[in-house]
Amino acid sequence: MDIIKIIGVGFISLIISVILKEYKREYVIYISIISGAIIIFLCFGKLKEIIDMLISIANKSGTNSYFILLLLKITGIAILSEYAVSICKDAGENAIASKIDLGGKILIISISIPIISKLLETITKIM
Amino acid sequence: MDIDLLFKIAAIGILVAVLNQVLQRAGRDDQAMMTTLAGVVIVLSLVISEISELFTSVRTMFNL
Repeated sequence: MDIIKIIGVGFISLIISVILKEYKREYVIYISIISGAIIIFLCFGKLKEIIDMLISIANKSGTNSYFILLLLKITGIAILSEYAVSICKDAGENAIASKIDLGGKILIISISIPIISKLLETITKIM
Repeated sequence: MDIDLLFKIAAIGILVAVLNQVLQRAGRDDQAMMTTLAGVVIVLSLVISEISELFTSVRTMFNL
């Protein structure tokens, strides 16, 4: 049922942005930002359930849930940066889009440094 | 957080476009510029409040 809502919002914002393209070009960007936000809000409920299930599995399985939290952080950064990059690309500003992409990648790498160091430690321990 | 926000922005956009045409025909170009700026300010305030709501909810969900 939710997919119909998402497709509906997408089509309505598509039609509105096509109409507005002749009169006012800059309003197309506002429409794409707002429709992106609405669609992400629509699928937040399901996202919440997935995240809670992941955290409960991590706690049950005994592995310290620190890594799961890091993974969640990385997916959060990925979602937000992809949201901004696609809007900038839509508006034709590829330079800004690539800068946001670069920033997102740097943040993700900086967050995953503890994971990498832990991985190397376990490898050296094995050998 | 629903669809009427889209319609509000579309209405403001079309209204500003029509007002611009009318004012330009009437020869008052400066007022046409004023209405454009007013439209931009109103829509920006709407968009920014929506974006901040989206970012705070994503941050709390992924505890960024």
